[in-house]
Amino acid sequence: MTAVERHNLAEKTFKEGPYFYQGSPETMSRIERAIEIDPTYCDAVRELSVAYLKRGIPHKWKTEMDKAVICNPQIWQPFRGYNYLWFYRDYKKAIADFNASDTLTPNFIDAPQGHSVDYWRGIAYLGLNDYENSIYFFDKYINKEIEDSGEDWVELTAFLYRGIAYYENNNFEEALKNFDKQIHYAKQTADGKYYKALILQQQDKNEKALEVLNEAIIDFNDEFFNERPYVETLRQIYIQDLEQLKETIELKINK
Amino acid sequence: MKNKKIVKAVLYGFSTILLVAVGYVCYMYFFIYNKHEVDKKKYPHTVEYINPDKAFLNTGFKVCNEKFIVQYYNPERARYSKGKNGLRQFILSNYKNKNYSDSGYLNFRFIINCNGEAGRYIIHENDLNLNPKKFNKDLVGQLFNLTTKLKKWNPNFTQNEFRDSYMYISYRIENGEIIEILP
Repeated sequence: MTAVERHNLAEKTFKEGPYFYQGSPETMSRIERAIEIDPTYCDAVRELSVAYLKRGIPHKWKTEMDKAVICNPQIWQPFRGYNYLWFYRDYKKAIADFNASDTLTPNFIDAPQGHSVDYWRGIAYLGLNDYENSIYFFDKYINKEIEDSGEDWVELTAFLYRGIAYYENNNFEEALKNFDKQIHYAKQTADGKYYKALILQQQDKNEKALEVLNEAIIDFNDEFFNERPYVETLRQIYIQDLEQLKETIELKINK
Repeated sequence: MKNKKIVKAVLYGFSTILLVAVGYVCYMYFFIYNKHEVDKKKYPHTVEYINPDKAFLNTGFKVCNEKFIVQYYNPERARYSKGKNGLRQFILSNYKNKNYSDSGYLNFRFIINCNGEAGRYIIHENDLNLNPKKFNKDLVGQLFNLTTKLKKWNPNFTQNEFRDSYMYISYRIENGEIIEILP
C-alpha cells in the first residue's frame, strides 16, 4: 500500500462508526485500528485521548495527547494548550503550548477550538492574574480581528475578559469601555452588566448601579451569561453573586 | 376469487417489506456495527467504567440502569444541588491544610444515580505533570470524606428520563492548598 492509500484507509476506518459512544470498546478499538493502519494519521492519535480528557482520567489523557503532539505539533500542540487551559487550569503549560505555535507556524495565527491563540493567551494570563500580558494579547487579538473583518466580528468575551483584566487592575475607565462594548453588541449579558454595576457602585453611583444590576439579573435568568461546555469558565458568575451585589447596593442606597 | 388475489398481493407486499427490513438489519449488524474487531482485552469496558467490586462506598448504592450510564455533561447536566459555587464553598470552608506539601491533581470519579445519589467512588492521584503519584494519605482521606459528603445531586436528564451518570471532581493542589476545583 502506498502512503496515500494507507492514509485514506486509516481515515475511512477512523470515520466509520459514529454509532458508538465515545470511549466505548468499539470506538476505542476502531481508533486503534486506524492508527495501526497509518500511525501518521494524527487525527486518530489525538482522538484516542479525548474520552479520558472529558472523564477526568488525567494520566491516560496525557499519554495519548502527547503522542498526538509528537505526531503533528503544528496542529496538536496549540490544541493541547487549549486542553491545559480549560480542563486542568494549568495556565503556564497552556501558554507554553500557545507560544510554541508561534514558532511552529510562523506568520500564521493558530486557532485551536475556533479561537486565536492570542485570545486564549489573554485568558490564560488573566488566570495567572498577569493583567499586563492578558491585556496585551487581548489587544493583539481584537485589533487583528477589527483590521481583518470589523469590530462586530470580535468574539464578545474578549471585550468581557479584557474589561475584567482592567477592572482587577483597578483601571475602571478602560474596564467600563470594554464592558460597554460587550453590552452594545450582546444586548443581553449578565456578565458585562454585573461588572459595570460593580464599578458604578464603587464610584458611589448607586442608583445607576442598581438599574444596571437589575438588568443583569434579568439577563442571567434568561440564561445570557458566560459559561462553557464540560467545565466552569474563568471568572464564572452565579446568581448568588448578583444577589449579593444587589444587597450591598441597596444597603448603600437606604443608608 | 378477487379477495384471494388481494390477500395474495398483501402477503407478497408484506413479505417483501419484511425481507428488506431483515436485510437492512443484517447489513447494519455485520457490515457497520461489527465491521471492526473489538479489542476486548485492552478495552473490556467503556474507558470511564468503575468496577463496583473495587470502588469505595458501593455497598447499598444502586444505579438505575447498569447498561446505560451517561456522562455528567450529556444533554441536561448532572449538577450538585447547591451549584458549583455551593460545592466550592462547602469544600473550601471545611478543608484544612495540615502542613501538607503535596502538589498535583487529586481526582474522585463516581456515579450519580438517577435519583441524585452519589456512590461508587474511585480515586486518581497525579502530580502537576499528570503522572501518577501518591498523595499524603491524610490529605486524600480528608478530601474523600468531604467529597462524599456532597450528598444531594440533580441527576442527569437524557432522553426524557433521569439517568445515572459518571461524574468527577478534580482538585488541583499546590503545596497542600486547593487552587482549583474542576470541572
